[in-house]
Amino acid sequence: MREALDQWDFVIAAYALGVGGTLAMAGWAWAAMVRAERRRDAAKRK
Amino acid sequence: MHGFANPKRFLSLATWLTPLLLVGGLLIAGGALAWGLLFVPPDRLMGETVRILFLHVPAAWLGMGGWTAIAISSLAFLVWRHPLAALAARAAAVPGAAFTAICLATGSIWGRPTWGTWWVWDGRLTSMLVLLFLFFAYIALAQAAEREGVSERIPAIFGLLGAVNIPIINRSVVWWNSLHQPPSLTMGKSAIDAAFLVPLLFAVLGFSLLFGGVVLARMRALLADRQAEARLRRKAMEAPAFGQVRGVS
Amino acid sequence: MSAVSPSGSRLKPKHQRLVLVVLALVALIAAGLLAAYALRNQASYFYLPEQMRDDPPAIGQAVRLGGMVEDGSLRTLGDGVTIAFNVTGLDNSVVPVRFSGIVPDLFVEGSGVVAEGTLRADGTFVADNLLAKHDENYVPRELQEMTEHQAAEMAEETMVGIR
Repeated sequence: MREALDQWDFVIAAYALGVGGTLAMAGWAWAAMVRAERRRDAAKRK
Repeated sequence: MHGFANPKRFLSLATWLTPLLLVGGLLIAGGALAWGLLFVPPDRLMGETVRILFLHVPAAWLGMGGWTAIAISSLAFLVWRHPLAALAARAAAVPGAAFTAICLATGSIWGRPTWGTWWVWDGRLTSMLVLLFLFFAYIALAQAAEREGVSERIPAIFGLLGAVNIPIINRSVVWWNSLHQPPSLTMGKSAIDAAFLVPLLFAVLGFSLLFGGVVLARMRALLADRQAEARLRRKAMEAPAFGQVRGVS
Repeated sequence: MSAVSPSGSRLKPKHQRLVLVVLALVALIAAGLLAAYALRNQASYFYLPEQMRDDPPAIGQAVRLGGMVEDGSLRTLGDGVTIAFNVTGLDNSVVPVRFSGIVPDLFVEGSGVVAEGTLRADGTFVADNLLAKHDENYVPRELQEMTEHQAAEMAEETMVGIR
């Protein structure tokens, strides 16, 4: 007996996870940087 | 090299390089993934699942590359006491851990339709999982160094120790019988047909640029945090009464 | 460290640290690699057929056997469910394998396989699970001058009766 899985299910799951994870990580890094630099600039002006 | 010990010089470079690397990396990696998803022919044996290659390989390369960056930066910090080197090591930890996790997840999803199992405890998979746990431990140590005043040398030494795992991961499929395939790309040789190899190289390039952009963004964030703390502390010292009444948070 | 050295030679402690760290690193990596290398056999995921011949596991012990599915050896037994095939190693050693169950899609003749199961006294390996092993080659279907249809046909041919 063959398994006969639908290969596209796995491809799409992998792409969703990989692309989603990468974008989330890059977005988080960018947002954290903007936040930290804004806080530093605010401290400078005070 | 010591020119960059001055954060001003580093920042003048990182200010324009960070968005450039991030956007360039996203475009190239995105293009390579679209190419791999839509235009690459199916593999003779694996069929459509071969497309997972374009995510799995860059993620594996950057997971291992992330720890290598931590190890090299830690070495530079321990030897030259270069402050930016400690920052760079810390900055590479989160993206390195993220790509290691993506490598394990995509590999697992790939394993189910090809091997017939989500996970096996063979040399390659096990040593890669160990790498993920090393990243977690490093992140915890680096946070302790920052917040609780543990010496910055402790995470740096740990970063060097953990580097032992990198050649073990690399050689695991050669030393031990494993379910994971042996390396397809060795010095000057490729067992991957050009139809897959070209988009793969673009994906590796794109993800690497993205990784560089994330590391720079993390460095800028850590540096800004440190500068803000220092400035607030100095202000609190200049006006102790004011600082005590208002608090410095 | 720098306080001990005379102020004239600022580079010295730096070099000391470099030598120390590099020495420690070399020793550590060598120790780690040696340990990993010593694990060679214990950490192997499966027996090759020649290893099973030269140093067979105990009869009935749960082990894994890995190798290539010999071309032309795959057949379905009389009960219609059990398949039998030969696994070959790097030399001429062969281990006959029996399995009844679901076969992964990548399992074809001339390709790698890892079988989980036990060795029987008569030398047959009875598997209760099959894993397909992919090799390092990535070749598009077109280059094999095969359409998807032909590839499916070929897979069917090598899997006579296993459906």
